[in-house]
Amino acid sequence: MTFLTVVIRGLLRRPVRTCLTLAGISIGIAAVVALVGMSRGFEKGWQVGLKARGTDLVVSSRGGSLTPKPFNASIRDQIARLPGIAATCNLLVQVTSVEDSDLMILSAREWGGFSWSNLKLVTGRMPQSGEEQAVVLGQTAADILKKKVGDPIQIETAELKVVGIVKGGALVEDGSVIMSLALLQKILASPDQINAIDVRVTPGTNEKQLQILIQQIQRQVPEVRAVSVADHLSNSEGFRMVRAMTWGTSLLAVLVGVLGVMNTMLMTVFERTHEICVLLAVGWKRSRIIQMVLYESALLGFFGGVIGVTIGALGVRALGETPALRGLLQPDLGFPLLALSVLIAVAVGVFSGLYPAWRSSRLAPSQALQAG
Amino acid sequence: MIPPSSSAVPLLEAEGLTRAFDDGQVQALRGVDFSIQEGEFIAITGPSGCGKSTLLQLLGLLDQPTSGTLLYRGDSLPALRDPAAYRASEIGFIFQAFHLLPTFTAAENVQIPMFGTGRSLSERRERAAELLKLVGLEDRSDHFPSKLSGGERQRVAIARSLANEPALLLADEPTGNLDSKNAHLILDLIVRLQQEHGRTMVMVTHDPSIAERAGRILHMMDGKVVSDKPSPRTGS
Ligand SMILES: Nc1ncnc2c1ncn2[C@@H]1O[C@H](COP(=O)(O)OP(=O)(O)OP(=O)(O)O)[C@@H](O)[C@H]1O
Ligand SMILES: [Mg+2]
Repeated sequence: MTFLTVVIRGLLRRPVRTCLTLAGISIGIAAVVALVGMSRGFEKGWQVGLKARGTDLVVSSRGGSLTPKPFNASIRDQIARLPGIAATCNLLVQVTSVEDSDLMILSAREWGGFSWSNLKLVTGRMPQSGEEQAVVLGQTAADILKKKVGDPIQIETAELKVVGIVKGGALVEDGSVIMSLALLQKILASPDQINAIDVRVTPGTNEKQLQILIQQIQRQVPEVRAVSVADHLSNSEGFRMVRAMTWGTSLLAVLVGVLGVMNTMLMTVFERTHEICVLLAVGWKRSRIIQMVLYESALLGFFGGVIGVTIGALGVRALGETPALRGLLQPDLGFPLLALSVLIAVAVGVFSGLYPAWRSSRLAPSQALQAG
Repeated sequence: MIPPSSSAVPLLEAEGLTRAFDDGQVQALRGVDFSIQEGEFIAITGPSGCGKSTLLQLLGLLDQPTSGTLLYRGDSLPALRDPAAYRASEIGFIFQAFHLLPTFTAAENVQIPMFGTGRSLSERRERAAELLKLVGLEDRSDHFPSKLSGGERQRVAIARSLANEPALLLADEPTGNLDSKNAHLILDLIVRLQQEHGRTMVMVTHDPSIAERAGRILHMMDGKVVSDKPSPRTGS
């Protein structure tokens, strides 16, 4: 019999309670994995989308949420004049409902702008002009909307036609309805309104020069904000809020796990007073008793973590497949996140076992061994 | 009270041991003096509540005396730096209520005291098997305590007490929870183990016929040793 056997025997002593505790931790860890994985996947989806458009900087209105507030298209002219800027493309991006889908990205791009150039046709054709009553769909968007080339599509008040299906090389692109900016402005009756400008800088611009350029744009047009694509999402208030909520909720879930394990371990120690006294009487050191209790709670944490990570990962996968979120979400369930989650669970276990372990080591061996 | 025949350093020596409970309201021991030579078999008798168990717990360092000194091979015991090591390697305890661990098999119960003594896994296993054979339970080694009879449980407990070859065996009413047939079996086993290896043994009992099997009988009354003489059977 090894020491680990002793520890496992302790956990198997009350199988139902052990399972309930495991359920408690694993639900908490599953919530952590799901929330963090989803919010990161969301961010990554946008980031890859921007990169695939060949965009280095994004200019949008200050204090923007997920889709920023509109501003006047003339701002572009002020920015395009700055040195070091190779190309710009005006955009009006909205997350809106299109027909049966409640969450669809509507990406209207300046006709002829570089943001069109990375789209690859899968079937059909591109619109012939900025005025043609036509859209192209990303592959995922076509799946979700159940459209094929030639189908009509209702965008806000106008009925347009799907003329092509495209591959954008990024999740956000694939999940978008893509159309000409002028067309959408006309449909919305808001000429000159845009809410983002994709900016491409001259090739060879390094990170430092990029930062200088950002400051110049900032000075030139104070009402907007320029960020490099790498920083874009970390700076977006919407994402910052999502992230804060994610970690806040995760913390709460972990806290519940801590209380669960601590309760279980305390009960274990109390109901095993007699056994612990016997162990002390036959010569176990107090440090070994502490070790036994901590190993038990760490093991609870570890198994709870493994189960939780599994449930969380499968859950996010399943969520990503639901019609509402398909195309918006590429769950980021990398090994580091999963390993970190298990690590957190083990830490929860050890931390929760500290007080019970201390209590157990305070027992006097004579206490429970009076004849009887 | 050192037996006149002995001149060597006693294994254990108690001087003026007292133990009070509840802020001095209960005086369980009121000054106990005696010494134990290596190889002796001592029975402690006395009426219920006279302090027999309390004394045994002090000898086994399960409890600390309120005052008095306790010397083990000439060294002061209560001041011992590592009481766990003393309990593990020098003392073997046998209780009236067996005190086996319910979630471990007979063999595992015997292995429990061997953790942290430097024995390897296979050594622990072999030694447990050996000890169970010694107490005649080799065919019960995978049984849990709940599946064993009272006599068998006490035999497992005896095997456990021998796990680390202790210098001193302390038994508190080892036959108190057993019927007379099993009580005799256990007593014979204890006497055999004591005699075969010349082990030092202190056994608490209230049964005079059991006490007579020992070489020396201490009689206690009201927290004190009131008589200390050789057993009538062995003579001196
Ligand atoms: N933990 C304790 N707290 C308070 N009083 C105690 C405690 N342990 C023992 N006592 C008291 O000390 C006295 C001696 O108890 P002890 O158990 O040593 O008696 P004993 O001789 O073993 O009796 P028995 O033959 O019934 O087992 C008793 O009066 C008992 O009530
Ligand atoms: Mg007693």
